Amino acid sequence: MAIDVLNPTPPDFKRVAGRDQVPPHVPEELIHSAGITFGPEFLAAPHAYMAAMHQKFPPLYYDVSPFGNAWLAIKHEDALKVLRNPEVFSNEGATPFPRDPDDYFYFIPQEIDPPQHRKYRNIVDPMFSPQGVLKLEATMRELANELIDEIIANGQCEFTTAFGRPFPVTIFLRLMGLPVEMTDTFVDWAVSLLHSNDRAIMAETMTKISAYLKAAIEEKKRQPDDGVVSRIVHAQIDGRPMHDKEIFGFVIFLFIGGLDTVFATLNNIWLWLANNPDRRREMIADPGNINAQVEELLRVHSVTFSGRTIVKDHEMRGVQLKAGDKITCILPACNFDPEVFPNPTVVDFHRPRQIVLAFTVGVHSCMGAHLARLETKVAIQEWLKRIPDFAVKPGTQIVYRPGGVVGPHHLPLVW
Amino acid sequence: MGKVTYVGVDGSRTTVEVAEGENVMRGALYNAIDGIIGECGGGLACATCHCYVDDSWADRVGTPASREEDELLAAASAPRRATSRLSCQIVMDPAIDGLIVHLPETQY
Repeated sequence: MAIDVLNPTPPDFKRVAGRDQVPPHVPEELIHSAGITFGPEFLAAPHAYMAAMHQKFPPLYYDVSPFGNAWLAIKHEDALKVLRNPEVFSNEGATPFPRDPDDYFYFIPQEIDPPQHRKYRNIVDPMFSPQGVLKLEATMRELANELIDEIIANGQCEFTTAFGRPFPVTIFLRLMGLPVEMTDTFVDWAVSLLHSNDRAIMAETMTKISAYLKAAIEEKKRQPDDGVVSRIVHAQIDGRPMHDKEIFGFVIFLFIGGLDTVFATLNNIWLWLANNPDRRREMIADPGNINAQVEELLRVHSVTFSGRTIVKDHEMRGVQLKAGDKITCILPACNFDPEVFPNPTVVDFHRPRQIVLAFTVGVHSCMGAHLARLETKVAIQEWLKRIPDFAVKPGTQIVYRPGGVVGPHHLPLVW
Repeated sequence: MGKVTYVGVDGSRTTVEVAEGENVMRGALYNAIDGIIGECGGGLACATCHCYVDDSWADRVGTPASREEDELLAAASAPRRATSRLSCQIVMDPAIDGLIVHLPETQY
C-alpha cells in the first residue's frame, strides 16, 4: 500500500508470531529459533553469538519467536541487497513501536520510502552532516572532561551511568533543543520502550513520550530556537509548512533514535577496552589511526538491527519470500561475515575500508552516524588521555539487556 | 556559490548552484538529481556518490583526498577510472566553479 504522508493509516500486515503461525511457503528446513534478543545463549555474549551464527544457521532462514516471526539475513551481501531495494523491502510498518490506530502517525523519515524520504532528510541533514557535527566537537570534549573530572579521583565508576549515558544523551538533547535536566526521565522512557519486550509497557510509554513531545513542539512553535526540534517545526516541505502529524512523527523518531544507541555502543566498547589492555596501548600509541580504530570497534560492537516488510514476492538465495513476510537484517552478524571481513572476530585496526553495517545502508542509513562516530572518537580520545589503564571491577558478572539495542546492563570499572 | 553540472548516463545535463564549502554529493541530493545516492551522508563509509570528473576539470579537482576514499573507490559498483572520485569529497570553492561531473551507470 502506498503511503500517504498526510493521511497516516496503520498498515494491514498481520503480526505473525510463534511456531503455529509459520506461513505455508516456508520450507521446514529453514525454520529455526535463534532467540535474538532474549535467549540465554544470546544474552550470555551477544556479539560472539551473532558472529557464530554463520556456522550455526543457514545464511537466510525463517526465525520463529514469540515476539514476531521473520526471515533473518546474516550475510553482508544480502543485507546490502535488502536495504538498498525499497521497492521489494519496504519500511512501511517496519518500526515496532505501538501506536493508537485512531491517531496513527508515521515515524519520519524511517517509515517513508523514496522519493518522499529524501525531502525530509534534506531538512535535518545539514545539522547531522560530517561538517555539521564538527561544530559540536569542542563542547563534546569539554563535556567528556567534565564527566571524567567527577570520577577520576574515585578510582572507580559505574561506566554506564557516569559516562556512557550522560555523554551522548547530553550532546543529543542540546542539539535537539530539549532540556538536559530531563535526561533521566527520557532515558527511562527509552529503556521501557526498547527493552521491556512487553507491548503494554511499550504502549503506555509511547503515550507519555507523545504527550511530552507534543507540548515541546507547541513551545517551539511559539519560541523558535536553533535546535533540531525547532528546525523541524518551522520547516517547509514541497513549499508548504509541515502538518502536525509529520512534525510529531519526525520529532518522536529522532527522540527514540537518539537516546539509547550511542549509550549502548560506548558501553560495549568500554567493556572491550577494559578487557584488552594490550589493544588499548596499541590504540594510544597510534593516535593518527583513530578513525580506523573507531570504525573497526563499531564493526564488532554494532548494537541494532534493520527490519523491513516484503511488499512484492521475491527470491533470494533460492528462497521464496512472499509479500507480507517480514525480514530482519542482523547487522551485527553481517559485520562478522567472514567473506567480507576475514578472521571476523579479530579486531584489526588496519583492515581495508569496507562498508560496515553499524549504521545500516541504503537511503535509510542512520542520519546520526556522523554524530555517533564523532562522539565515539572524542570519548575514546579524552578518556584514554586521562584514564589509560582500567579494568572491569573484579567479581563482576556482565549481564546484557534483552531488546533491540545490544549492550551490557552494568559496567563497573576500576583504575 | 558555484555551478556544478551533473551529466547523467543518458547524456542529460543538470546545472545547479552549490554553496561554497558544500560538497558535490549534497548538491545532487538537494536538487533531486538521480544517479548520486550518498547513502552514508559523506562519512567515507560507502561508495554510492561515485562520479567521474570531466577530463577538463580533472587537474583542478585532483585525485582521491585520502586513503579511505581510494579504498572505497576500489569497492564502487561502476568501473573505476582515472577520474573517479567520491563526490562527497569534492568541496565547492571558487577554483572549481563550473565543474562538470559524469554520473556512473550504477552506484550499487
